[in-house]
Amino acid sequence: MKQRRIIIALIQAFWLVVGGGVALAHVTPPVVLISDRDAVLAMTAGAKKFFVREVRLTPNEREALRQQRGWQPDEDFYRFYLGRDDAGKLVTAVMFLTEVTIHGPVRVAVGLGPDGKVKDAKVVELSEETFPWLKPLIDLDFTRDYVARDSRASFGLSQRVEQMHLESMPLFYAQIVASLIQRAALLFDLTLLKRDGKI
Amino acid sequence: MFGWTLSRLPLSAKVFCTLVFAGIGLGCLAAFTQAATAIGLSASDVAASLAPEMPMTHMGHGQMSAEKELDIGQLSSAAKVWIRTPLLIQTSHTHLFGQTLIAGLLGLIFLFSSVGEWKKAVILALPFVGTMLDIGGMWLTRFAWPSFAVLVTIGGSTFALGYCLIAVISLYELWLKQEAHP
Repeated sequence: MKQRRIIIALIQAFWLVVGGGVALAHVTPPVVLISDRDAVLAMTAGAKKFFVREVRLTPNEREALRQQRGWQPDEDFYRFYLGRDDAGKLVTAVMFLTEVTIHGPVRVAVGLGPDGKVKDAKVVELSEETFPWLKPLIDLDFTRDYVARDSRASFGLSQRVEQMHLESMPLFYAQIVASLIQRAALLFDLTLLKRDGKI
Repeated sequence: MFGWTLSRLPLSAKVFCTLVFAGIGLGCLAAFTQAATAIGLSASDVAASLAPEMPMTHMGHGQMSAEKELDIGQLSSAAKVWIRTPLLIQTSHTHLFGQTLIAGLLGLIFLFSSVGEWKKAVILALPFVGTMLDIGGMWLTRFAWPSFAVLVTIGGSTFALGYCLIAVISLYELWLKQEAHP
């Protein structure tokens, strides 16, 4: 009888731990809104040829971004997809940047013109958890508010987003998306425009 | 164990064990479907999601920039999920806890089967070993060599094999096996 009670208690205790473990073992699946190819093609309308340019930041460039912009780049290299016209002139450079948050990754595609100004930006990947927070803003095409801004501009939330009186989480993720767009503009400016001016 | 076997458990315990197997089995199917749709099941799919991104331009170490013409077809038209290091850390700790606890619950039930000790020890170890191969393979793929992605597939299969053996043997003993009365 005593043995039976021990076994039952053991099973009950284990089940409680499993319940807690399963609750903790919660990884939200990713939501991919658009493939890389579709994002590049959508942002490089008019381009006839495509190139890929990969750049590494120098230690000085990394330090400058950290000190002046409060961003510490951590990738080994950054990649631009360049769409050029028949004459070889840049139409749009597209960059994908990701921020990994506690609720999963947020990945953004940013299209930049030859002058370094944002031409287009799209959220391409996020997690199931963040999707409901960002969906009203994606439906509103809120990234349009950053078009024509360059690396020196402000990338705070736009007036129309602020007027929506959203909860804190949508605002938090809207700011993350805006920061990613700004980072793309900074990287374009630093590594393509300023470094050798040849794009 | 303690003179108890699965076939001699009271009805409530048999129902409990059966529902545990059913729940975990459905969970495994859901996990399999998610892995298949979000990442893929082959070693190359796993490597593509986990391995560090390599330069497309053959930019050498120390080189500051490089450019080459791109066939747009080289870009993935499929929705692709990249598991980066912070996500790998998150996935590892949740899966190690979750899968180990599931393996523990399966093993706890299987301890009461009447299979011989050696066979029991080997079968019971499969889900634990599978979990370690699975998660270990992810880290090795990212930081050692992309070909270690095969370990993730082997680990998942080992976990599944362990679950199937434990569930089938246990369910047989719970509901079909006739205990010889002394």
